[in-house]
Amino acid sequence: MTRVLCVAEKPSIAKAVANHLGGQARAEAVRGITWVKNYKFDFRFNPWGQCSVTFTCVAGHIVAQDFNERFKKWHSCQPVALFDAPIESKIAEDKKVVASNIEAQARYASILFIWTDCDREGEHIGTEIRDIALKANPNMQVWRARFSNIERAHVIAASQNPIRLDEAQAQAVSARIELDLRLGAAFTRMQTLALQHMIPQQGEERGKLISYGSCQFPTLGFVVDRYLRVRNFVPEPFWLIKVAHTKDEIDVKFNWRRGHLFDRMAVIIIFERCLLAKSAKVVKMAKKPTKKWKPLPLTTVELQKMGSRFLRLTSQDVMKVAEDLYTKGWISYPRTETDQFDRGMDLQTLVGRQTQDGRWGPFAQNLMNGGFQQPRSGRNNDKAHPPIHPVNYVAPTQLNDRERTVYEFVVRRFLACCSEDAVGEATDIEIDYGSEIFHAHGLTVIARNYLDVYPYDKWESSQVLPQYTVGETFEPTEANMLDGQTTAPGYLTEPELISLMDANGIGTDATMAEHIAKIKEREYVIARSKAGGTSAAAGGGSGRGRGRGGARGGRGGRGGAVAGQNGGGGTGGVQEFIPTTLGVALIEGYDNVGFETSLSKPFLRKEMEVQMKAICEGRTTRNDVVQQNLEQYRAVFNRTVQQINVLKSAINKYVVNANQR
Amino acid sequence: MAANMAAELAQHLNARHLYPTVAWMQSFLTTTRPNTPLPAIKQTAHFRLLATDITTTLNQSAASVFPQDILKGTIQSRVVAGPVVCQVLDVEDIGHSRWSQVESIEAQERGEMTKGREIVRVVEQENEGTAEAAANVQSKGPFKLLLQDAKGLKIYAMDLRGIDGLNTNMALGVKLILRNFDVRRGVVMLEPANVQVAGGKLEALDKAWKEGRKERLMSAARADGETAS
Repeated sequence: MTRVLCVAEKPSIAKAVANHLGGQARAEAVRGITWVKNYKFDFRFNPWGQCSVTFTCVAGHIVAQDFNERFKKWHSCQPVALFDAPIESKIAEDKKVVASNIEAQARYASILFIWTDCDREGEHIGTEIRDIALKANPNMQVWRARFSNIERAHVIAASQNPIRLDEAQAQAVSARIELDLRLGAAFTRMQTLALQHMIPQQGEERGKLISYGSCQFPTLGFVVDRYLRVRNFVPEPFWLIKVAHTKDEIDVKFNWRRGHLFDRMAVIIIFERCLLAKSAKVVKMAKKPTKKWKPLPLTTVELQKMGSRFLRLTSQDVMKVAEDLYTKGWISYPRTETDQFDRGMDLQTLVGRQTQDGRWGPFAQNLMNGGFQQPRSGRNNDKAHPPIHPVNYVAPTQLNDRERTVYEFVVRRFLACCSEDAVGEATDIEIDYGSEIFHAHGLTVIARNYLDVYPYDKWESSQVLPQYTVGETFEPTEANMLDGQTTAPGYLTEPELISLMDANGIGTDATMAEHIAKIKEREYVIARSKAGGTSAAAGGGSGRGRGRGGARGGRGGRGGAVAGQNGGGGTGGVQEFIPTTLGVALIEGYDNVGFETSLSKPFLRKEMEVQMKAICEGRTTRNDVVQQNLEQYRAVFNRTVQQINVLKSAINKYVVNANQR
Repeated sequence: MAANMAAELAQHLNARHLYPTVAWMQSFLTTTRPNTPLPAIKQTAHFRLLATDITTTLNQSAASVFPQDILKGTIQSRVVAGPVVCQVLDVEDIGHSRWSQVESIEAQERGEMTKGREIVRVVEQENEGTAEAAANVQSKGPFKLLLQDAKGLKIYAMDLRGIDGLNTNMALGVKLILRNFDVRRGVVMLEPANVQVAGGKLEALDKAWKEGRKERLMSAARADGETAS
């Protein structure tokens, strides 16, 4: 009988898939490691016939890259040497047992079947597994399963249709790993060595690491950019005209098409012209059907944004919970850019599984009784995973609080997608009054449709407007000149930050949440809930965000505002980010060294991300991309070293002297 | 010959509602070369005249300047027949806060508007009522202009309708010819039908205006901000 070795990316997937394929698969312990099990069972794979299967797993990357001994120590070389210091790939210290387990199992098997997650990272881990296995047994055939959720039928279909590893995707990851290592280490060492001594320390704390990451910095850049906009903001007065008219006992408010103007004299003259005109003339009266479109199928970025807006979870927490739900087989793979469902996908069956729920069951039942509509299609398709959707029904009692809210959102979103747009009637009235146009807008919601299952969207009927006819004239009951004042924008919220990263190509949907968590952990920004208190999520959870909170007191400084508003335990809500004095100093420092290629700007990183895609699509090679990027960043590095005083003076300005003002 | 040419030139310019002073005509004629064809000379004269400060180069006949009492604020509305020739000394976008214009200029200075490497900073608005985001498209105004006629009289004008060629990117010192225009409370109401943008500019004014624009906007915003808060 053919022996097949299956390897998944994490223990939970190995267990779930093994049980789907092998029924109650027998779990054998692996010596020296408690969380890895080898599941043994027999299974019939179409291409290979009846096989004896061993199903095991790794835990993320097994191979680690690092500089060799000579360059590892901080003071062993000039930081610039790290741009071309030799890099060694080794089995990571804590993964040795995992690797030896694969080697041992590979000796008995003739087929290696890789079950890592189907994304770039998973493809690379797949190649790591392959290399280890082939070393032990060079004659193995290597295959890969393509799957995007671990629902039983899907997993079995994947097991019968093995494909090849995608070398190009693995190469892209390999390029990313090398660039992250070299750039991260070189800039981190350089700036830490130059600036560390300037930053006040508290008590026993050892010198602060001032880390650099090519995604971290542009992410921080967005936060600082908005912060400075808020801080520099100057309110200005404006003036506007409002007109009201009572008809059929309805008080209709007409708004000025110009909104408001910033010149009082101009508005007075216009207003006088209106008053002199005495009567207004209806120039447009239109009633037309209108729709509120149902949402697009759910992507990772959208899940993160909605999560932080409506579910009171940070992007990182949402992803963690979604990951758990996926591992348990309740939802599909939560890392996807795709916002279109494949035409061939049997969505109705998935809808049918939701009919048993007490909250949205009746809605799902309605869809089953003929209300089902094909979801809208967005423009993105990563060709690897469908949009995030519920795979199986799970009763709320089986989930913890967080899982319940995320699962509920995914289900409601999915049912909304399979439902109908909300339908209404819009009324638009325009009047000409003293040669100025004023308008009134009304909405009557006729059928709520998808809104019934999707409370995250709001669309409500407004006041009913009376009937006017074009050409009709009337004397307004009221016309007023009012004034107001511009207000500063708010600090950057988490959903806004995610949108900005997405729009500017910083990170991938899979890594954005990590970059945001990183700048919190590094104390470059602090997060607080928009309502005022510090967000519970930033403080609780892993505790990483605030692990070394003690250091902050000494540096409150310019952030006097920050420290002042920092008290009180918030209860979550949308998070907003405020940079620390160190965060502002770093961004301003790099900007002053050279705007064009400042590390705080997304340009360089965006370009890198585009090149990763190009590798995946076979348009360029790993080496070209690495060399080209190293050259670009080396130029920035050299300029920074030459002008290190510019960076230092920014630190002086914001951090060192902050408390003396 | 010279007298003849002067007459021809005057006729050409007058047909365009431009009545240059004798002094300007003479000095212009001294710069022309004898064998240049007449049509070319006419064009050159027109072009040069538009690049001058009209308070020194145009005749100040009553018909071609604003009526003397035009700034009187007590007059609700009056129509002036013109045609009046004037030059634009200043233009303000009154549809956008000064601060948002400053932000947009700064974004441009940082090279963020360069095609292909633009930073997207405006994402879907979360809460209404926050300040407008820096707009990087050509503003539609409306605009408030400061005009000056040949006599040196200065008067505000408003472009509420969006007249082609009038915006904050135009050349300062550009000449306008106004006809049958409404003047309300001492402010000219510009309409597409009553404005002809004749072109030209005042090089020095234009340069200084563009260089100082950000500073002016900033201090104007700050001054306004103090009264606002």
